[in-house]
Amino acid sequence: MNDNPTTAVGPDEAYAHYLDALLAGDRQQCRAVFESWLAAGTELRVLYQELVQRSLYDVGARWEQGRVSVATEHLATAITESLLNLVYPLLFSRPRVGKSAVVTCTAGEYHQIGAKMVADLFEFHGWRGYFLGANTPPPDLLDLIRQKRPDVVSLSLTVFFNLDSLLQTMAAIRAEFPTVPILVGGQAFRWGGRERTEQITGVRCLTSLSELELWMKSQSSHAT
Amino acid sequence: MQPDPGLAAALAHVMETASVLAFRLDAHQRVVAANAQAHQVLGPEVVGRTLAELMVNFTDALDVPGDDVQMLSLNTASGMPESFLFRRFVLADGTLVLGSLDFQEQERLRTTVLGLNHELNDLTRQLHLANAELRDLNQLKNQFLGMAAHDLRKPVGIIMTYGEFVLDEAGSTLSAQHRKFLQTCQDAAKSMDRLIDDFLDVSIIESGKLRLELAPATATEIVSGAMEMTRLLADKKKITLLVEPSDDTRRLPVDTSKLQQVLLNLVGNAVEHSQQGQRVWLSSHWEDQSLVFAVRDEGPGLTPEAQAQLFQPFAPGGARKTGGERSVGLGLLITRKIVEAHGGRVWVQSLPGEGATFRFALPVQSVNSNQ
Repeated sequence: MNDNPTTAVGPDEAYAHYLDALLAGDRQQCRAVFESWLAAGTELRVLYQELVQRSLYDVGARWEQGRVSVATEHLATAITESLLNLVYPLLFSRPRVGKSAVVTCTAGEYHQIGAKMVADLFEFHGWRGYFLGANTPPPDLLDLIRQKRPDVVSLSLTVFFNLDSLLQTMAAIRAEFPTVPILVGGQAFRWGGRERTEQITGVRCLTSLSELELWMKSQSSHAT
Repeated sequence: MQPDPGLAAALAHVMETASVLAFRLDAHQRVVAANAQAHQVLGPEVVGRTLAELMVNFTDALDVPGDDVQMLSLNTASGMPESFLFRRFVLADGTLVLGSLDFQEQERLRTTVLGLNHELNDLTRQLHLANAELRDLNQLKNQFLGMAAHDLRKPVGIIMTYGEFVLDEAGSTLSAQHRKFLQTCQDAAKSMDRLIDDFLDVSIIESGKLRLELAPATATEIVSGAMEMTRLLADKKKITLLVEPSDDTRRLPVDTSKLQQVLLNLVGNAVEHSQQGQRVWLSSHWEDQSLVFAVRDEGPGLTPEAQAQLFQPFAPGGARKTGGERSVGLGLLITRKIVEAHGGRVWVQSLPGEGATFRFALPVQSVNSNQ
């Protein structure tokens, strides 16, 4: 896989085409662009950041500006999520490094694509990435942590108003698992909240998938 | 009275842009005018048709009461019917009918569909992850199987070798009963040796490390190499092995040694399920660009249920073996995998009480040396 998606029409044009198709709800066209990036050997983080995340941010910005409807945004999300399935046959057969991560959204948080990309990136780097999905009640999350004993717990926050729910969830994790590292991230942290989360021992706030990759690399260098 | 410009603008909005269906009907319920949304939803040919022609044909669907809102379903241009809430307004020169979607119902539908989509995608991911974990576990199992079998092979070999020494060199000094004890040990060790071979074969096949060493061979060359062992098996149980010779000299790139293992498995099975004095046939012929081998017996045959499980790991094997031979049910799995690695297939034809015929076909093409 490489850093530069080389498609027949070039990455910028391909992106513009993808975004137009996404806004039009054209699943097949989106799939064609997505598959062309995959076929070009685009690295997963680049695919997720430059195509998936960028397009969803662009759709979200248009919604905030009143240029597209909620339905259009929901359709774009649904199409995007279905496209992530195309990655899985490549993702889960990669060599393992013997570490695992539990990734989820907190209670009340329904935007799950960001968390899913995080779980996928863990898988890509040989970690087992257990993903619980949107709106996970803390008891369910604690159950999975007990069951899987992960090397890290990663929590995603898209809507800033769910920050209190995130803090409560982290407190519950910390009370039962004093040492497991907790990573938090997501679009909500554009509006603040980083300091409040990092006051809890062993919590790191990461602002991008690139930062997550660097964090994973630092973990593997610790191991060696 | 002066026309109200605000009302005119509102009506223009209803006719041109609003997300509501608007029809003007004449006294015969025929559409004389429709707004832009109605054309978009129902297609261009709306005007001139009766309301009944636009609707999904349900009983009493046309009974739109004067002041009530009634749900009616229309055939949309996309081919999908859609339900709208309609209200009728009586005008001086006809009827105005307005139809809109039930917002709450739409919202419920959207929320549910999005939720289901989330669930479906999450389950897809879980399925891929579970499959990956199962693959890892299977690999671990194969490694364990291979290691265990490999480590068992040497001590079993030593038991067999020294047992033979004792029988050959000191057998005459032992009592008949002690010789029998020793012979039982030997038979058990041989049985374990075969089992270890099967475990090793399965671990190699399952881990994808089965490599074929392909070289051109005729059917006769393949069969002849397996003859000595198969005859030994048959003679031991006083079964008549009838090999039908093939004079076809066409050669096929195959792994002869592996195919002889297949023949040995199939003839061995046939012998083990036959009674003393019965016959087993081994034959080969070319059919539709494939070399087909057949092993037929006069044993008890197989039920359809037993046939369905035959080529699976640890298959129970159906009928009882006549000489009390033991098996863990890996022989036919190994047979299938070797034949499939040659791009071929193996199958059985049998009826209970009428024996069984196992066949495998090797096509001229599609031999896969990298399996």
